[in-house]
Order: sequence, then structure tokens, then C-alpha cells
Amino acid sequence: MTGPGRTVLSIRDLTVGYGTRNGGFELHVPSLDLHTGEVLAVLGPNGAGKSTLLRAMAGLLRPREGSVAVETDRPQALVFQRPILLRGSALYNAEVPLWAEGVARTERRRRAGHALTRFGIGDLARRNAATLSGGEVRRLALARAFVTEPGVLLLDEPFDDLDVAGREALSFDLRHAIAETEVAVAMVTHELRQALLLADRIAVLCEGRLVQVGSRDEILRRPASPAVAQLVGMDNVIAGVVVGRDAADLTLVEVRPGQHLRSAVHASPGEPVWIGIRPEHVKLDAKRGEDARIEHSTSSVFGEQPVPFRGQGPLGNLKGKVQRLVSDGTLATAWIDWEGSELRTHLIAGRGLGHTLEPGDPVLFAIRPEDVHLMPRRAAATGAGF
Amino acid sequence: MADFESSAVVEVALRTLAVSGSALVVAVGLGLPVGLLLGRHRFPGRGLVVALVNSGMGLPPVVVGLVVALLLWRSGPLGALELMYTPQAMVVAQVLIALPLIVGISLASVGALPEDWHVQVRALGVRGLRAAWILVRETRLGLLAAVIAALGGILSEVGAVMMVGGNLEGETRVLTTGILMYTQMGRFEEAIALAVLLLGLTFVLAATLTAIQQARRT
Repeated sequence: MTGPGRTVLSIRDLTVGYGTRNGGFELHVPSLDLHTGEVLAVLGPNGAGKSTLLRAMAGLLRPREGSVAVETDRPQALVFQRPILLRGSALYNAEVPLWAEGVARTERRRRAGHALTRFGIGDLARRNAATLSGGEVRRLALARAFVTEPGVLLLDEPFDDLDVAGREALSFDLRHAIAETEVAVAMVTHELRQALLLADRIAVLCEGRLVQVGSRDEILRRPASPAVAQLVGMDNVIAGVVVGRDAADLTLVEVRPGQHLRSAVHASPGEPVWIGIRPEHVKLDAKRGEDARIEHSTSSVFGEQPVPFRGQGPLGNLKGKVQRLVSDGTLATAWIDWEGSELRTHLIAGRGLGHTLEPGDPVLFAIRPEDVHLMPRRAAATGAGF
Repeated sequence: MADFESSAVVEVALRTLAVSGSALVVAVGLGLPVGLLLGRHRFPGRGLVVALVNSGMGLPPVVVGLVVALLLWRSGPLGALELMYTPQAMVVAQVLIALPLIVGISLASVGALPEDWHVQVRALGVRGLRAAWILVRETRLGLLAAVIAALGGILSEVGAVMMVGGNLEGETRVLTTGILMYTQMGRFEEAIALAVLLLGLTFVLAATLTAIQQARRT
């Protein structure tokens, strides 16, 4: 992406809902813009209102309040999570949106054929659509969406039901098609990894509310609330209270009396906060035991090169005890008891500490202050971070 | 087969085709759009309408005959039309028998589409008459099944046409009423001849519709 493009879709004070008597659902989005050439991922757990938002953006649901303004003369296209195909060939299916626009037959055929080729299924043009595989159906649905050269493309879980290789291949073709056509894309997904395959920006939706919008980096490093933190893999969230600043101008957060963490995030003293730390930022020292000491992390299983730590504890490191370990064969997760608080960290299974560590082992670990994220902790935690 | 002339048989067969064919055309013309709309749209009271249609699929033809007879009877509300004991009265009765079958089966075949089918088709930009055409195209197996069922229902029906047609020779006698009459008279040869003709006719028409239904079934 070469900087933000023109705004083609803007949402203002949108309220969409269905059902009024108990069991109803309401989605509220104060403001959200979509620009040409960008991919905005709408991330949220099941039932957050992602598909509702997408359908409202497509004009398929009428807002109760507010507006969805589309500022492009090109059509909109929506690809559903389970795309339906019509009886007939793959080519016929790709032609349908053009037929709806009244495009002549030969022109229709040519453009539909081109769209199929763009998504790598040009050789399946004559195939009966009912005989296509799951991956081919998805590609056909995308080809059908691109055939009208839409200005806005809305994708509902575009990588669902695909294996990792299928997702990577499809994301490659999709990215290529998006760059070529300068379409503005909003995609909906419940999984961070799928969002990261395409997204330039991420909007997080929880229980019908837009809780955060930002660049990939912002969302990953600075989630606005524990709910967002959980969605983006910031698995360690513990409560604390800001007590002041240290000599190096780092924020000092008390977890329990005498138990502190330093954070590079600024916050005012007395403020209750949630402390968020990504598991990969909890770095264990390879030398186990009480004598171990981290000066630099040459031994860290994560740092290929030494990472200069700015210390946390008085010795520049923290002490804990391994509670339990779980391994999926590739990645191991260790739960560390840090004076009554639980912290998760990732290790490579079967290598280094991932091989030798056992429950009950004392460990030393370090967390850089810049990896200690702070989120507001109030009765109703909403809005952005600090 | 003394006074049983083949020209008379042909005439009865042709009248059967004319009466049931007209009834089928009218019933399809009315019933298919209604069935598609009922299958497509949700509105308060729809459940009741669908239940009525479904029970209409099992409507006893003699009851239909009775109702039509009451309406068309000389002193009845539509008596002035003087339609009683005419082929037109038989068409009216057969339309009433065929309608619930066509509406019921076509609305069921629309209902068998995936839940968000209509939304997805709309999202492809297909609107209005084009959307209706796509709907007919997608459900054509079910729609032709509805036509075949209706045809079978009215071709084989005897009670209603007997009551409102009267089995008048040269005027309202059709294959089924002819079979009934000859059987009651003990003239089995004629009854069997008409029966064979009726079976043949039913088969040819059903086979033709089936061929259309299964054509390019992709």
C-alpha cells in the first residue's frame, strides 16, 4: 500500500439491529472509513456482529440510525462465508453479475474468463459448478466478485475452511487482484492469523461495539482492552495500579505490594490498569536455577541476536516457577508462577528450554519495559488506551 | 364393439386433452407465481396460508365438484353464466384441484434453497425480473414436478368432472367419465379401450415433461 487512498465508504453513527424482544441484537459503529487499495480486517469473536456489519456495508440491511455512504461509481461486491453457486458451469456463475448489469454475451464471456484466470481457475470454466472443491468454490466466488471491477469488496471469512497452504496461496492471488484493481476491501474474520494474511488495518468488534481501529502494529502491540488483547494473542493480562515513575522515566506498576513491573507506557499515578504482555515477550533464561542471571539474552530461545534488556527486578530479571507445560509438537507454552501471578511464555518444542524445562523448575525471566502494555481498568472499560 | 366408433373415442380423448390442458395452463399461470412468491417472502399469517395450501393438496375432488356445482347451479350465485354441464365448468373444477398442488410443490422447492440464497443473489446485483428468472431456473426441477403432479391429478380425476360436466355424449364426456359409465353398463370392452387410451396419454405427457425436467440437468 502506498499511503492511504481516497475514502470510498464511510460509516457514521451506524446502528443496525434485528429482533426487539429478548434475543435481539444491535450493532453500533460510531465511525469507520474504508479507502481505495486498502484491506480493512474486521476482527471479532463469534456473535460480535461482524457479518451484520458487512451486510450493512453492502446495503443489504437497512440501518436503524446513521448512515453508510458509498462514494464510488463502481459497483460493490460481497462474498459470503458459504458462497452459493448457481446451476451451470463455473463460467456461467462468473457471468451472472455482468448479466445482471445487462452486459452483452460475448463481452460477458470474455470478462468472466479473465476473472477466472485471475484466480487460477481458468481451466475450470466449462466445469459444472456443483462438482468444484471447497477451495475452487471460494476462488470462483472471488472471481465472480471481481468480474464487475467493484470499487468496494466485502469478504466474509474468505479463508475459512481452507488449510494453511490454501490460505497462503489464496491470499497471494487476492492481494495481487486487490493491488491491480485498487479496490477497497473490508474482510471479516474471527481469527487474527487470517486477518494478518491481508489486512493493512484492523477494526476490532466485540458484542456489537467497535472497540478499536488501528494499523496491524497498533492493534498487536497496543490493544485497547483485555478483550482485544485476548483476540490479538496478548495472552498475559494482569491487574495492577500505577504507583509512579522511576529514574529512567518508566512507569512503575504495582501488581501486589512489593511486586512491580516497569512499563514504557505513560500513565498517571493511582490509576488502576490492566497489564498486557505478549507470551513471546516473556523471555526465559536458559540457565535454570537460583543463580541464573540475565545480563543479555544471548541464551534466549527467541532472540537470535542479543537483546539488551532494561531490567525489571532489582537484578535485571524476575524469578518464577514453572507451573505446567503444554506442547503441540511445534510450539510449547509454559505457565510461569510469578509470585502469585501467572504468566505465559512460548518456547520451541523439543529445543533448548522447550526440551529441558519441567514443571516445578525455578526460572529467571525478563520482560522489556517497552513490551509491557498498559490498558485502562475502569468499571466500563471502553475507548482507546493511553 | 358394435356401436362403439373409433371416431367417438378420438373425440373423447381430444376433449380430455382440451379440458385438462386448459386447466393445467390456467393453474400453472396462477399457481407458479403464487408458489414462488409464497416461498420467497415472509409475512404475518404465512404459516396459515401454507397450511391451507398443503391441506388443499389433498382436497377430495368430489368436494370440489360439489362446491363448483353449488356455485354454477342455475339458482346459484354464478348460475346466470349458464356454465353448468359445460367443458368450461369442468376446467374450473380441475383448476381448483390443480392449484394447491402447483402452489404447494413450487413453494416447497423455493423453501429448499439455502437460507441466504435470495440475499446472495441480490448481492450479485440481480434484481427484479432477472431475480425471478434465476429463481425459476434454480428451482425448475421442483417446478416441473409440480406441473407433473397437477397433470396427474386432473387427468385421472373423475368425481368433479362427472358432477359439473355430466358426462354428456358429444359435449362433456371425457376419458374418465366414459370409463365410469361403460363399466357401470357392463360394457367392459369400451371401458378397457378408454382406460388404455387414458394410461397412454398420461404416460406420453408425463414422459414429455420429465424429458424437459431432466434436460441439461447441470
